[in-house]
Amino acid sequence: MLTCVLQRPLHYAGCLLAGVLLLLQAGCASYSRNFEQEIQTLASQDPAAALKTLDKQHHPERNRLLYHLNRAMLLHMLGNYAASNDEFEQAKQVIEQYQATSISEESAAFFINDGTRTYTGSSLEQLMLHVYAAINYLLQNRTDAARVEALQIDVRLRQLQEADPDSILSIDPFVRYLTGLIYEQLGEIDNAMIAYRKAYHAYQEHHKAYGINIPRILKQDLLRFSRQLGLNEEYERYRQRFEVEARALDREQGELIILFHKDLAPIKRSQHIAQVDPGTGYLVHFALPMYEPRNSHLSHARVVVAGQRVPTEPMEDITAIALRTLQESMPAITARALARAVVKHQMSRQAGENDGLAGLLMNIAGVVSEQADTRSWLTLPGEIQMARVTLPPGDYNVSLELIGIGGQVTHNRQLGQVNLTRGGKRYLSYLWFPAYPTTRR
Amino acid sequence: MPSRTIRTLAFLLAGITLLAGLTGCGTRVERLEADEVRDLSGAWNDTDSRLVSEEMINDMLSRPWVNDFKRRTGKQPVVIVGTVRNLSHEHINTNTFVNDIQRELTNSGRVTFVASRDERQDIRDERLDQDIHASAETRKAMGQEYGADFMLSGQINTIIDMEGRTQVRYYQVDLTLISLADNRKVWVGQKKIKKEVANSKLRF
Repeated sequence: MLTCVLQRPLHYAGCLLAGVLLLLQAGCASYSRNFEQEIQTLASQDPAAALKTLDKQHHPERNRLLYHLNRAMLLHMLGNYAASNDEFEQAKQVIEQYQATSISEESAAFFINDGTRTYTGSSLEQLMLHVYAAINYLLQNRTDAARVEALQIDVRLRQLQEADPDSILSIDPFVRYLTGLIYEQLGEIDNAMIAYRKAYHAYQEHHKAYGINIPRILKQDLLRFSRQLGLNEEYERYRQRFEVEARALDREQGELIILFHKDLAPIKRSQHIAQVDPGTGYLVHFALPMYEPRNSHLSHARVVVAGQRVPTEPMEDITAIALRTLQESMPAITARALARAVVKHQMSRQAGENDGLAGLLMNIAGVVSEQADTRSWLTLPGEIQMARVTLPPGDYNVSLELIGIGGQVTHNRQLGQVNLTRGGKRYLSYLWFPAYPTTRR
Repeated sequence: MPSRTIRTLAFLLAGITLLAGLTGCGTRVERLEADEVRDLSGAWNDTDSRLVSEEMINDMLSRPWVNDFKRRTGKQPVVIVGTVRNLSHEHINTNTFVNDIQRELTNSGRVTFVASRDERQDIRDERLDQDIHASAETRKAMGQEYGADFMLSGQINTIIDMEGRTQVRYYQVDLTLISLADNRKVWVGQKKIKKEVANSKLRF
């Protein structure tokens, strides 16, 4: 046995080495966190500068997914949709490569903290990756490629459903709506109808969970397609339930679809907790992630085009779903953190009984290394809103009025010129990130 | 005993951390033959593209439409590749697939091949340029292009069935050859590929 050969000085060296390594690990993790917050602040004012800062930084392999996701979002903001999708494809590869549980990382996570594991994203982040990739393709007028994303979304939702059939996270409303929109654009009306129906079901469930309303445009689409497909009973049911008129889509007209991404998804913080372990009776200290709520200053946007003013309506409350996602994974995170705290406590106690200095070192290493895994996709928007505007073919100047909570116009944004063709659909996307003050930890 | 436990744990820890730091060092490169089959992720790859195009084109050229056309007109059929739509779950680069088809068709020597829509524009620009700059004897005239008799188009579809970490991916490639003169479908080909992909639950 190696340990039998070791002399006392070596024993100290071992402990010290372990302690130093732990400190290094922990130091790395918090540095990258600070850095990501910087990116987030920069993104609200100057995405190009944020991109440069992001590229200058060293990104450890375990955080590579976040690097690609942040990069993709910044490139999307800069209107470089093709490059943005290259990043999303790399992000998908990271998820694919690291989805299997790693033995070495799990053991490191057991002794150090959850942040030592390779980040593969929450279920919400993995879905949003496909959503933004699909939006990028739609913005480039590559509907067939957007359809590929729609099919991948379908596979992903089936995996989520299989893993946890009762969770509302496996039936995402906007994701379904978006796939419906893609099928509709390709003329696959029956596929579109199925997707809109699933979206309707998901909106009902999500409404119960945190109160998002069923979008008016979805109601109009359900009415329109149930009638078009001759589903008379279903059409009647929708007609009685919805207070909206079916929006006839004229083949001679074009359609402008505006996606407005409001605010940023919540940010995770590390919260320190002292608790008596029921098994051993020790008072142990550990850290858990928690979401920091962030105030919003905007309610929605108004699309100004050809003398019309059309308000956007909420389609996906990413913030609410993110909170829900963390809430669902909290029992597992807490159990792991508690087990780790007990082990660290026992290690320092046993070391202390034998040798005071070793005990102290172990204790310091244990406390310093204890950090909650606060990693998340920080440039992910907090809410997705949408408006669909039908217009005759022609060139249009499109702008957005951003509406504050009180109903006043706070900002005006030019989205540029759009050419609408007969029966064609054009997409525009605008992200509005507020400049949150960063609280460094 | 306790001190030994600590020592073991401390070294275990240091070992794990060092290993975690060391993994990922060094890039390994190995050259492969272009026709070597190496499946990595289970996604559509070069081998699929090559196998499908070879088999489908062989099938296409062995059917009676080629000889029928020759008998009727006394000429070789002129074919153009239209679009191959990707309706699958993956971002398949249909360009490599289309290029594989073009190569097989051209090299068979049994059909004449004309440039596709994108390529044509380039060539027309070049002829326009020749009109001004090239000498009279080397200049190529406008309006002498070969019109295609048939257009080849198709789509790639997939069905994915899964259970846990095992997926069965089923690819179906459909190609249709349509006569440009009268919209007749002279040949319909289909090739299926089925793969089982199992992702492991654990990695080091």
